[in-house]
Amino acid sequence: MQVLVDTLAVLFSLSGLLSVIAGAAIGIVVGALPGLGPSIGVSLLIPFTYSMSPENSMLLLISLYMAAEYGGSISAILLSTPGTAAAAATTIDGFAMTQKGLGNKALAISLSASTVGGLIGGVALLFLAMPLSKLALQFGPASYFAVGLFGLTSVAALSGGSLVKGLIGAALGLLLAFVGIDPIAGMPRFTFGRIELFEGIPMLAVLIGLFAVSESFLLAESAGKTRGGVSKGAVRAVYLTLKEWKELFRTMVSGSVIGTFLGILPGVGGNIACWVARDYAMRRNPKLAFGEGEPHGIAAPEASNNATVGGAMVPLLALGVPGSPTTAVIVGALVLHGLRPGPQLFAEQPVLVYTILLGLLLACVVMFLIASVSLPWMSRVINLPDSVLAAGILIFAILGAYSLRNLAFDVWLTVGFGVLGYLMKKLSFPVAPVVLALVLGYLVETNFRTALVTSRGSYGIFFTDPVSAVFLALSLASILYPMWRSRRDKRIKAA
Amino acid sequence: MPFNPTRRSLLTALGAAPLVLRIKGAFAAAGFPEKTVNLVIWSGAGGALDTYGRQLAELLTKEAGWTVAVQNRPGGSGAVGVSTVLAQAPDGYNLLVCTGTLTFGIAQGLIPFKLEDLRYVRAMQAEPSSVAVRADSPLKTLDDFVTYMRDNPNKLRVGGHAPAGFHQFILFQLGKMGKFESGWIPHDASGKVPLSLLGGHMDVAIMTPSSGLSQVESGEVRLLGITTEERSHFFPKVPTFKEQGYDIVDSIWRGVAVHGKTPDDIVARIQEAIDKVEASRDWLDFQNREKQENINLGEKAFTQLVNRQLANQTEFLKSVGLVK
Repeated sequence: MQVLVDTLAVLFSLSGLLSVIAGAAIGIVVGALPGLGPSIGVSLLIPFTYSMSPENSMLLLISLYMAAEYGGSISAILLSTPGTAAAAATTIDGFAMTQKGLGNKALAISLSASTVGGLIGGVALLFLAMPLSKLALQFGPASYFAVGLFGLTSVAALSGGSLVKGLIGAALGLLLAFVGIDPIAGMPRFTFGRIELFEGIPMLAVLIGLFAVSESFLLAESAGKTRGGVSKGAVRAVYLTLKEWKELFRTMVSGSVIGTFLGILPGVGGNIACWVARDYAMRRNPKLAFGEGEPHGIAAPEASNNATVGGAMVPLLALGVPGSPTTAVIVGALVLHGLRPGPQLFAEQPVLVYTILLGLLLACVVMFLIASVSLPWMSRVINLPDSVLAAGILIFAILGAYSLRNLAFDVWLTVGFGVLGYLMKKLSFPVAPVVLALVLGYLVETNFRTALVTSRGSYGIFFTDPVSAVFLALSLASILYPMWRSRRDKRIKAA
Repeated sequence: MPFNPTRRSLLTALGAAPLVLRIKGAFAAAGFPEKTVNLVIWSGAGGALDTYGRQLAELLTKEAGWTVAVQNRPGGSGAVGVSTVLAQAPDGYNLLVCTGTLTFGIAQGLIPFKLEDLRYVRAMQAEPSSVAVRADSPLKTLDDFVTYMRDNPNKLRVGGHAPAGFHQFILFQLGKMGKFESGWIPHDASGKVPLSLLGGHMDVAIMTPSSGLSQVESGEVRLLGITTEERSHFFPKVPTFKEQGYDIVDSIWRGVAVHGKTPDDIVARIQEAIDKVEASRDWLDFQNREKQENINLGEKAFTQLVNRQLANQTEFLKSVGLVK
């Protein structure tokens, strides 16, 4: 009880609140800027935590982490430029809503969903850290492979009209994922001897190219035709109506559960959770027009990527091992203060641990308040004419591409993917399957091969490993069920 | 024509600009670093090398006043990290945080670079390898492990951080002495090794004790043997390989390297900054807390060390037929 009182005293002290407010405000900006993400944001702030108490520095960093996962959606929705890789899935329906003049609403959905996701992930961390960490340990290479494969089955749902085109896109994405140094044998492959490609094709270059640069080309093209498309919607409320809450709440909750669960798995996280959550929402609501500005298509991924924050803190606090790049940086901040994350921290520093646990929840609330105040200003972007928007997106995209690794190579790579994306959109090839396959390619390949090394070449491991067996069955079901349903529908029609 | 102060000062500024740039160039080393220094860690987030790199980043900021950004560049036995640094200009703004697995990668041709492509600025930590099992494992000693491996070929699943690195080298040597062969399960972050062991996805991990310090201290993970010369004062209850009859004494360094063409004056500035880190109370506390030997080898000794290791490891890999 005393611990709780002490923790609340830290949280609601002036310095504690200021840390949360500063972290959340910086986080939103860092998330919205492509090229900067939560992990870079946290590492940029670490030097400022030197002179702070461990509790306040943790509050600052976890608030930033939480808010950055949200901030990525702002640029995704307004500019078709995912600020973080975890906001990629939001881009599809988010930007579609903006183009319909509903950018305001899209931002409101994203903010509410992110807050719900953050809170659910945080509550799961608060009450279920130990059992969830046991669950994470059950995941061996075979299970990671199966989870990745399950994620890949959502290509069908991302394909829009043509499954064949979706599969071609996914194959291209997998091909791109093979570029770089072989994770098991350590030999470079498909790099054309380019040292810049040894690390693989940078995810953000593909994301920004396919989503943002291509969109700016399309906007530039149409800007001449539709002159003066200014003021497409008034900048108003950033809150959802009760009706919208009722409509979207289930999707937010399911997205949050998916995000929490994938967040606890080291190496999975928000980049993958956003796609899985969107796919689940699509399967649950087959009648809705996903891809054309569907609110559920924003609520699901945005809830899930914020829920991964609580999830990623689970292995950190319960096992002492970080579950995401960002939590790994947070470990650095803890070590600096002479602390080692892990189960012993609960006994040694209970106030600090509870400050992290409750601080994560407070960060969600503060993030919501700050964003509510600032969104009306940010969303003025939607009143810009298309020609200005096209140029703005291009500048934003190129800046983001360059700030990745400070290599001009990445800029050209991004422009190249922009041209590819433009051609794909012109030929009505969906770009999302490329991104999804690229995100999952490394996970699937590395773990497939590691599992086979573990089993000495026996494919049985994928069926004897219970987690793997479950996810393989789910993958099979998710491929077969839509086929069965469409045949049934045809039969009903025929009858 | 009215007097236009803006235009005038602009013109003056333009005229002076080349001069300023030239002066800056000449004294580049004196002002180093003038911008953010990247610390490129060649392993994934989480794990001993990552923790060391981040502590170094923080102390470089605190003790030397640098602005430091940490980047994880895992993959390919470290080749990804080396290539990241070599892809940048040799201006000292990209420090590679690497470990002794560097020479293995080069010896096996897995890291497509030469030793001379880098300058070895400072080796700061050294840590032994160890054989680790779960608390419920029937294996109690190194002999148990070796005997079991010999009598039951390919029964136990053994693995650790990185393919063909330091830990696999220890396993090879042990296998040669104990007459057994073993597969190897590579992991792309050393933090994943204890998780894989605890989750039952491996039976035996060859790892630095610090990779799973929480678990080693809580007793969830048991160390069968450690590759120090004498018993480590950090783990006094763990017997050495040597005292159990396997004469393998080796430890892995962790240190900082830069692009091989980095000029001397810049390297000197980096050395000064690292000297400040080495001298700080925080650094020594960190080393003790993380159970690390403080080796502090300067460029000359460090370069000799990597050259010697490369020679030994190449010879070893040839003798077991991994390299022709």
